[in-house]
Amino acid sequence: MTESNPAEAGNMREPQLPRRDWILLPMLSLLTTVLLILGTELIARLEFSDSATGLAPCLILNDISTGVRGVPNSECWAKATESSWTEYKFNSCGHRAGMECGPKDPGSYRVVMTGSSMAMGLYVAREKSIAGRLPWELSRLTGRKIELYNASIGAAYGGTPHSVALRFNEVLAAKPDMILWLLTTWDLDHVSDLRPQEEYLRAVGRSTSAHSVSASFQTSALGRAAAKVGAESIADLLYEQLKAFRFRVLLTHYLFMSQSLYVKSYLKNEDDAVGFLKADWGPDWRERINEFDGYAANIEEQSKAAGIPLVVVLVPNRAQAAMISMGEWPEGYDPYKIDNELRAVIMSHGGIYVDIFPAFRTIPNPENLYLPVDGHPDAEGHAMISGLLAKVLTSGVVPDLRAATQQQAALEKTK
Amino acid sequence: MDTASLQFVFFGLAVALLSNLSRSRIWRSAVLMLASVAFLGLLSHNPLVFLPLIGFLALGYAGLMLIERGWSRTMVWSLLAVIFVYVWLKKYTFLPEASFLHFSYFTLGLSYIFFRVLHLLIESGDGGEKRRVGFGAYLLYMLNFTTFVSGPIQRYDEFAQDQFANEPIPLGPRVIGLQLERIVRGFFKVNVLAMLFNMVRVDALAQMSQPLPASLKIYAAFRLAVFYPLFLYANFSGYIDIVIALARLMRVRLPENFDRPFSASSVLDFWNRWHMTLSNWLKTYVYNPLLVALMRRFPSPTLEPFLGVICFFVTFFLIGVWHGRTSEFIVFGVLTGGGMSINKLWQLGLTAATGRQRYRELRMNTVYAALGRGLNFGWFGFTLFWFWGDWKQIGTVFSALSAVQWIGVWLAVWLAGTAVLGIWEWLRAALLSFKAAEEPLLTSRYARVVYASALGLTAFVITFLLSQPAPDIVYKAF
Repeated sequence: MTESNPAEAGNMREPQLPRRDWILLPMLSLLTTVLLILGTELIARLEFSDSATGLAPCLILNDISTGVRGVPNSECWAKATESSWTEYKFNSCGHRAGMECGPKDPGSYRVVMTGSSMAMGLYVAREKSIAGRLPWELSRLTGRKIELYNASIGAAYGGTPHSVALRFNEVLAAKPDMILWLLTTWDLDHVSDLRPQEEYLRAVGRSTSAHSVSASFQTSALGRAAAKVGAESIADLLYEQLKAFRFRVLLTHYLFMSQSLYVKSYLKNEDDAVGFLKADWGPDWRERINEFDGYAANIEEQSKAAGIPLVVVLVPNRAQAAMISMGEWPEGYDPYKIDNELRAVIMSHGGIYVDIFPAFRTIPNPENLYLPVDGHPDAEGHAMISGLLAKVLTSGVVPDLRAATQQQAALEKTK
Repeated sequence: MDTASLQFVFFGLAVALLSNLSRSRIWRSAVLMLASVAFLGLLSHNPLVFLPLIGFLALGYAGLMLIERGWSRTMVWSLLAVIFVYVWLKKYTFLPEASFLHFSYFTLGLSYIFFRVLHLLIESGDGGEKRRVGFGAYLLYMLNFTTFVSGPIQRYDEFAQDQFANEPIPLGPRVIGLQLERIVRGFFKVNVLAMLFNMVRVDALAQMSQPLPASLKIYAAFRLAVFYPLFLYANFSGYIDIVIALARLMRVRLPENFDRPFSASSVLDFWNRWHMTLSNWLKTYVYNPLLVALMRRFPSPTLEPFLGVICFFVTFFLIGVWHGRTSEFIVFGVLTGGGMSINKLWQLGLTAATGRQRYRELRMNTVYAALGRGLNFGWFGFTLFWFWGDWKQIGTVFSALSAVQWIGVWLAVWLAGTAVLGIWEWLRAALLSFKAAEEPLLTSRYARVVYASALGLTAFVITFLLSQPAPDIVYKAF
């Protein structure tokens, strides 16, 4: 690149621009712009395709007596923009359990897992998800035969704490020796939701209501600016069109691979979305944790009555994982805050809370194990989380899962 | 308003448009003054924060008045007063903390105003041709929003020649097109290239303190050394591109500040191409007078080249120190001045050993030049550790690897710099050799329109995307 404009150097009298250039140059600019957009969009659509309906055909979306749940004996293949094609098979109870619902294998210790998308293993083949890996890890560490029945539902706003509380009978019906409730910060953001949001229903073609301005648009900078000048509908339409461009995913996918840029960008979210990362919570997040407390009390009471230990764990989201790993964050933020709040709630009702947050400090770039734009962990992320979970679960917090010494494990094998 | 942001560009374009409504110098000066005041107002809404800056400007003007009225003996005292007040307002850490003003005030652009004030004082007191600088012209020169934040450091005469000309320099479609292309290029450099380079650097810096295997830490150290110079170049030269183009649209020619600095094959050459207006200023007002003074004091032809070495050290040490007020910048100054001096000694030694002709031939040798380019790049990257880091960060970074590993890193930086910059030079020459109508195709207006459109679109999209927050877990179609 040249620093100066040589064509201009010293010229006090400027030569005339040929008349054809007044047409040619703007056309050239337009052509470059169009070709660049089309080219990038084409590459983005090839690399970041998705299935139009996702998991929706395998889900019952409108039953508010249970929240979203799986269609019994259904099977779907789905792909998100950043994931590969994934198979989702639901058993006769509507669970992606990897086994039929019914009694456990004789002599085995059964863990029943509940939660939302991360627990269900969204975007990840079942055998590579936490549900697929954790029993193997636990068996290896304890020397016992351990199986995991996954009762989580995690798509289309399923698996929220309210929905888990409503479907907790399904968890107990699976006759667990231990219940593992795997939470994400998203669950706490949507504590009481039982139905998918309108935006989701529109995206999968299940919306029955007239088009309205989406929640994500309303909270965006563009949405707020448009509302001020009363052009919300037009701006929303424009926003929807822009969102349809796949090159947005392509660019952000690669940009958000940067730890620092992602955290910076994530913290630009409104307080409503990232308030849980603040060192001092606002009233919205206080209210959410209070609501959560109600569902947690209900769930813990049921498990206590059944005499089954309930273990709760929170998995940090992508931004939290990055912040913890970096070991520093902007003033006024605290990625550990929600972990501490949740521990207090669970332990106040007598549940067991296991903490995997500090372990993220020792993992370099853990955010690389999550999908950069979507935020769910990929297969390697599931492997990392199940490894951490296996370690804390066998540390003695659940007496039945205390890690066996090598000799004990060998003895068990001989038996 | 962030400098080099889209708002800044639109602000500058609007001012340029307004300025061109009349060719009258009064109109153009009035527009520039109002725009510069408005620019300051956009940077801070509290008028009180400008009080120290106003005081500094008043001090400079008072000194100028005294000199212009024949009190030329006051020049030294005026210079010392301006230097002291500058150091005090910038809160250099060697001054006692208690002596500073304990309210927050505006110091953005003060470093550049400092140079402009010193330049006016020295030029007015040097006994040459006298000219009067009116208060309005003084303020316009000092507060000109196109040079306010980060230069370039323009000489008053050059500024006055264009700004106060009865017949302003021409501005036709061709020049406008070139300036718009330069604005787009500058905007792309600052908002895309610099952002990406900085992103790599920050990530690498974070990795230096993470529990990673040595190989990954070495790679992080390599990125840290390589990407900061690139970031700094894209950031600063991009901003300069924007302001030079905006000023030209207002019919004022600002001096160039960069001339492909990483093409320099020695440290001496580098500082002729990097932040040129700063190094030229210091060469004019520090290097030359100091060399003359030393030569008078030690009038020996044998010593003369070595006096030059000393003057290089002092001049570029001051460049380093000027960049910041903490002790890290003293080291930066020592390294910058030291690099210049050692390079000069190398030149002298090699010339003495091989003869002037052979040394000239060696310098023209492609491999020697490429190795020099790589070495200069690596050295600059090394000195910049004391530019971007505080002692704690520098300590963390250097203790992350062993001495041998660090030597490996710098060797790799040198070799990579040699190879990549060598290929870049060759590629650039090859591309520029394609000509149509006596002009390289790459710099034709058609090519400029194509790449300006591409860069502009990319910069706009990325700026837009990064102004949006990253989403939480996405539930679009699942």
